[in-house]
Amino acid sequence: MLAAVFRGAGRIELAELPDPVPGAGEVLLRVKACGICGSDVGAYKTGMYEPGIVIGHEIVAEVMEVGPEVEGWAPGDRVTVNGVIPCGRCSFCRHGRSSLCEEVLMPGVNVNGGMATHMKAPAKGLHRLPDSVDDHAGCLVDPLSNVLHGVRRSRFRPGDRALVLGGGPIGLLTVQCLKLAGARAVYLSEPSPTRRRAGEFAGADAVFDPLAENLYLRIDELTGGEGVDFVFECAGVPATLREAPMLVRKGGQVVVLGICEEPVESDFMTVVLNEVEILGSYCGPEEYPAAITYLARGQVNAGAIISHVIPLEELVPKGFEALAAPAPEPVKVVVEMPAR
Amino acid sequence: MRFGSWEYLVEVQRRTNSDEKYRELAKEEHDTYTLVLEPEPAKGVQEKIVVGFRVDGGQISEIWEGERPTDFTLSGPYGVWVDILVGRLGANAAFVMRKLKIRGNFLKLLKGADSTQRWLEILRTIPTEFEGVYARDNLPGREA
Repeated sequence: MLAAVFRGAGRIELAELPDPVPGAGEVLLRVKACGICGSDVGAYKTGMYEPGIVIGHEIVAEVMEVGPEVEGWAPGDRVTVNGVIPCGRCSFCRHGRSSLCEEVLMPGVNVNGGMATHMKAPAKGLHRLPDSVDDHAGCLVDPLSNVLHGVRRSRFRPGDRALVLGGGPIGLLTVQCLKLAGARAVYLSEPSPTRRRAGEFAGADAVFDPLAENLYLRIDELTGGEGVDFVFECAGVPATLREAPMLVRKGGQVVVLGICEEPVESDFMTVVLNEVEILGSYCGPEEYPAAITYLARGQVNAGAIISHVIPLEELVPKGFEALAAPAPEPVKVVVEMPAR
Repeated sequence: MRFGSWEYLVEVQRRTNSDEKYRELAKEEHDTYTLVLEPEPAKGVQEKIVVGFRVDGGQISEIWEGERPTDFTLSGPYGVWVDILVGRLGANAAFVMRKLKIRGNFLKLLKGADSTQRWLEILRTIPTEFEGVYARDNLPGREA
């Protein structure tokens, strides 16, 4: 099989590897498409994945072969693979917190993933994709499940106002989910003009350029001085993490979805004086079915998120290099696998 | 000079930058500020005033009118700013009592209390005319 192998910071190579053989409880998949996640780009920049791993966890594939002890799946089934496959036994799993599983399998992170022509996966990690979710939109199931998990964990209620920091795929999906959830207003702050346009397309009520505008004053103006009830931090960079508690209204909640690889200095005095809540949210394995439903019903607009579709052969120059640029032009890049 | 006018800002910059004591107290400060003076039509203040400045090592290196993204944004009714400027209300008290809405690193702002106090002393030397009912508090000023 042809696969994208992580070799370290700045090094992803396309390599021919032996075709995987499914073991007990596993299936062999022919991958059709795989999205590049922001965490993949983070690993490309910093080297945080294990060298030798086949990357990719936003997967759309077709079952080719089922291994022993697999029931309910057959060749030809169109699927996505959960980016978090929990053990189901640890205390977190038993208490419904599977994103915190202590023996979790994460395709493309700690086991081989789907940026390849083929992969094997545990059957328990598969989710069936309806025809109404095409191969490109199917790559959004994973990031959408992350966002749904964050929104569901938050105190958000219909009629609330929110500010989303960062107009990458997670930020744009957050805008859409909050609107679907009945937000009174959702604002987006994003320095890239391309991504601000995507934010408008995704349904943001107002978009701000944080490099040119004073967000505090814009929000005051739009909310009549009341402020926003929620800030969703989706950029994962120190500047937005530092500012988030100061941008939310007194008693509001900051939901951190972005993964920042650097320490952040923050003003916890404001957090205390304003009784601001800070909530982290990670992955969303239990939200996969809901994410598929939203996409299948067309309630989430995939076209607002997917900006580029490239062949596997162009993964590094048109995918990783473009996304790792200081002001990336692409929003979501989907990689199509060659047929084999 | 009309409080918050461009002419006033220029004078603030001139007097601040010629003050040795302020320069020493604020020598570690490198921040940008937006000050918003909110209108109070019932008291004869019709227009919102938004001004900004940059402090670099105890010197105001840049001033501007209008909005920009800044490290600190301080906003409040015109009358609260007048109270602070004439000394009826301490700046830190205004911060802590939420008379002003503060956006930015709150602790850092409080730690700069000495330089803020000196800066207010400088501002009080500027002949200043206030709007509406606040004209009663006009400052005669004196040469710094």
